[in-house]
Amino acid sequence: MRQKLFEPEYVLDVRCIAGLNGIRPQTGIGVEIGALTTLNSIERSDFLRKHYPVLTEAAATVASPVLRNMGTIGGNICLDTRCLWYNQSLTWRKACGYCIKKDGDLCHVAPGGTKCWAAFSGDTPPALLCLDAEVEIAGPSGTRRLPLHEFYTGIGDNYRKLEPNELLTRVFLPASSADYRGIYRKLRVRGSIDYPLAGVAVVLKRFDGHVSDARLALTAVNPAPVLVKGVTQLLNGKIMDEVLAEAVGELAAKTAKPLTTSALTPEYRREMIRVFTKRALLAAASN
Amino acid sequence: MSDFSIIGKPTAMVDAAGKTTGAGKYTDDLSLPGMLVGRILHSPYPHARIKRIDTTRAEKLDGVMAVVIGQDAPTPYGILPVGHDEHALCTDKVRYVGDNVACVAAVDEATADQAIELIDVEYEVLPAYFDPEDSMKAQRDFIHDNKPNNIEKDYHHVFGDPEKALAEAACVAEARFIANEVTHAAMEPHSTLAAFEIDPHTGKPGRLTVWSSTQVPYYLQHKLSLVLEMPMAQIRVIKPLVGGGFGGKSEVIPLEIIAAVAARKAQAPVKITYTREEVFWAHRGRPRTIIDLKTGADKDGHITAVKARVVQDGGGYCSYGVVTILYSGALLGALYDIPNIQYDGYRVLTNKPVCGAMRGHGTVNVRFAFESQLDELALKLKLDPAEIRRRNLLKPPCVTINGLRVQSYGLPECIAKVVERSGWVERKGKLPKGRGLGVACSHYVSGAANSIIRSDMPHSTVNIKIDRDGGVVVYTGASDIGQGSDTMVAQIASEVLGCSLGRVKVVAADTDLTPIDIGSYSSRVTFMNGNATLRAAEEVKKQIAAAAAKKMNCAAEDLAFRDDRVSKNHVAAGASPAEASVRPTQEGASVSGRVEGQILRGSLQQKRKDEGPKDSLTFEEAVVAAIDFHGALTGTGSYAPPPEARGGKHKGAGVGPSPAYSYSAQVAEVSVDEDTGEVTVHKVWAAHDCGRALNPVSVEGQIIGSVWMGMGQALTEEMVWKDGMLMNPGLLEYRSPSSVESPEVEPIIVESIDPEGPFGAKECSEGSLAATIPAISNAIYDAVGIRLHESPFTPERVLAALRANKAQKKIDLTAGIDPTDPARFREHGGSLWFRGKGPERHALDPCRREAPVGGDD
Repeated sequence: MRQKLFEPEYVLDVRCIAGLNGIRPQTGIGVEIGALTTLNSIERSDFLRKHYPVLTEAAATVASPVLRNMGTIGGNICLDTRCLWYNQSLTWRKACGYCIKKDGDLCHVAPGGTKCWAAFSGDTPPALLCLDAEVEIAGPSGTRRLPLHEFYTGIGDNYRKLEPNELLTRVFLPASSADYRGIYRKLRVRGSIDYPLAGVAVVLKRFDGHVSDARLALTAVNPAPVLVKGVTQLLNGKIMDEVLAEAVGELAAKTAKPLTTSALTPEYRREMIRVFTKRALLAAASN
Repeated sequence: MSDFSIIGKPTAMVDAAGKTTGAGKYTDDLSLPGMLVGRILHSPYPHARIKRIDTTRAEKLDGVMAVVIGQDAPTPYGILPVGHDEHALCTDKVRYVGDNVACVAAVDEATADQAIELIDVEYEVLPAYFDPEDSMKAQRDFIHDNKPNNIEKDYHHVFGDPEKALAEAACVAEARFIANEVTHAAMEPHSTLAAFEIDPHTGKPGRLTVWSSTQVPYYLQHKLSLVLEMPMAQIRVIKPLVGGGFGGKSEVIPLEIIAAVAARKAQAPVKITYTREEVFWAHRGRPRTIIDLKTGADKDGHITAVKARVVQDGGGYCSYGVVTILYSGALLGALYDIPNIQYDGYRVLTNKPVCGAMRGHGTVNVRFAFESQLDELALKLKLDPAEIRRRNLLKPPCVTINGLRVQSYGLPECIAKVVERSGWVERKGKLPKGRGLGVACSHYVSGAANSIIRSDMPHSTVNIKIDRDGGVVVYTGASDIGQGSDTMVAQIASEVLGCSLGRVKVVAADTDLTPIDIGSYSSRVTFMNGNATLRAAEEVKKQIAAAAAKKMNCAAEDLAFRDDRVSKNHVAAGASPAEASVRPTQEGASVSGRVEGQILRGSLQQKRKDEGPKDSLTFEEAVVAAIDFHGALTGTGSYAPPPEARGGKHKGAGVGPSPAYSYSAQVAEVSVDEDTGEVTVHKVWAAHDCGRALNPVSVEGQIIGSVWMGMGQALTEEMVWKDGMLMNPGLLEYRSPSSVESPEVEPIIVESIDPEGPFGAKECSEGSLAATIPAISNAIYDAVGIRLHESPFTPERVLAALRANKAQKKIDLTAGIDPTDPARFREHGGSLWFRGKGPERHALDPCRREAPVGGDD
């Protein structure tokens, strides 16, 4: 708001809606998490750590402890996409001629283009994508429920399917996603506070030493958090080793489309997706 | 070891309570009745002529009391007498994105912000220069008409015969180093409150009072007088608490003048506080520096010659630029014994925010290059990096080839200490793969021996007043910006006078009350203001001693001042624990204070007569005696550097000389992740020769702070530019390390006891910074065998170097841009972030449907 990216007439405090706060396990079905549940409560939930470790790990890396006390899971899912040409003051944006995402018709990241490439930089959504999460959205005509990957559009300036009169109310994690090993790895310059410059979430299940199911999602390198396609097929039935992890890393790096929306060069960030994927897989597969 | 009662003891800052409880007042905490808020309109163009400014719409807005533009105060100013090229608000041209165009004074911030948008400015956009080496080739559209080729100043110094020495050297190393631009990022943003008193005779604005977060109240008073065309005597500058300066407040910052001009026009007090983005635009930080360095050594590792060509990207105005470029050359000397030096320095103007003084002014980037190259020489000569440094020590007292006088020199001890504490001999080269140790040294002045204002006046003057209440009031112009100068002044006064610290009150940095001190910069305050305080205190002490001696029937020289008592020497020296216990307690002191009051004076005199001459007086008794004897009890002391410390005769010789130099040696232990290029600093051992540590806890704090700030520049901090736009004008994207990234720092104090410093003290807050960057760079080399030539050592630069070095699978990190090829770097201001494929600035952007000509603000 200080940067005049948002100039709302009214600001509504929704923190006190008790029904939207809390972690409620439902036997045989999974778990329901209220949108107002703080990242700190998720980080500290024994239930989530036991059954959905990738989520607690991702939540624990968001910003700083102070911000995690205030920030919520709903807020992290709905987090505005970020770009160096967008997250600037009014004076700054005016000086560079504004951009597609706000007040302008240019893209400075992909000159000549008409699509906004602002990067989605939330930490928990890649973890939630790996867990097949669904979200509930309340609006004037009642509530609807959709898989999280359908919530994001992949377009930087219109990145989520949420109307102005709608509210994201709940997140559901199915029982079928429980008890996967999970790892979240995040590239940032400062370990203390930074947004991810590239992020990798991995969940993995093994049977008899062989991978029986695995999913991988990326953040901060595309306008939406994305599940990497083909990971399950590549890994299923195999024993995790360096070569295999490297191959998945290549696949992830191909899915990533980092641009000059944030610090560090796109090529470096893509390379780190490869490295972090490999490391996350090996970590998830180790005992 | 001398026996001090206050000096050398860890002492809490005298202003600590207010700062920690929140009771202390910074400029932005101040408020006056009827005060207005000022907001500044900044230029959206890096280089443009102002054709027209129309303020009518803004003036008509309800709540707007005044709109000021350049013509309201058109006199140019600048911190250096040779660099009067700035205006309060631009009159004809804007020279960087963020330059100051107009200011609105309104009843509140929202109104002022709204009014800013209503000011219509018509610009004629000019070609802009962003890279210093391109800027130097400019033939037209100069940034300042009187600076051809956009060169602010160039210096060419030759000492000895460097060409011959390099030709004869057994070993020569040559490389280009680049240090990217960094800024101070002080916690407190700049803030100024200006208020005029109404002259009772004319009804017009008369005397001006300015409260400002500044390191240099006297210079501010001087420049305000110049621009506002008022006598200095009509202007009072007061420095409230300051939340850090690091050089960013060591000159007159635009808002300080603008607030006063706006207050005059609005006829009401005006306060301006910068946003964090405006702080980045005000900048005055460390310039991006390109260093072409060549060093020769004989077969034993003795340096025979140094040749340096330094180009600094100075931004749109002069600021301290001429001094910075001179420091870069002068401080090649005075650390090691170098017989031949050639220095070519260019301070170049570009269309970016102005660079100025920043902690380690001028020396840091060149030191990074030099210490890196020294390690390369050591490698070629198969010498230990610590050993090659030991072989090149000076032999003080001496005068270096470029005219710098060195007396106290604790560098050998600094090197010995860090080598010992870090386990250098046992561990260097023997750590696991990816982990390494690096050593580097640095030094800095304890105040410039020649002040920037051409004048023979003392650099510091201090007055002390003691009254019958026994309270010691020290009036000093020294500006405490968090570094602890108030505490230093109180410590010195109380040590000399033998009184407790609580008895001393420091009145500081108020131009109506305190004598002139030229400011808190170039690490001059402890040395110069400390010496002035010492002299003032000694003058008062002499008066007290004369009176007390008379009372005690002894010679003044036989008296000792200590623990709030004046005693005959033999009593003080022979004081047994039993006698010591007779010392007045706090309670006793207050009783005697009351007794000294006027009412009981008669009976006290009777009592004294009864007792006869004493061996010892309380501090109050001695003070009363002195006031009875002399009348008022005041003392004054001043300090000017001695002529023999003021340097050589060559052009530019004035910058670099100092009455004393501090010395530092550091060892850093780092690890490098070879897959990601991430560098982690695990520990830094930092030994610093500060002469005498007047307040050890403060010295340690300064050493740790310097290392931490140096680590920021080494690893994460970088101002990133795209066509003159600062891409990271905030503390989220400009990444100063936080406590999580901070390594353990082991500060080691080395005391060389300078012959001219107050109690032997020298500087302690800047010299350590410059060693940290090369120590980390050298440690990275030890860890993974790559030599980095550009700071900061971001993971991508490290990884690119690792991949290049190993000839392993190349990744297209920089898409055709070779990070070692500086020519390509220039395209995007030296940063890897942007590959030069972004659009031109919007006014000239071909992909824009209707390209506007000129601005439309």
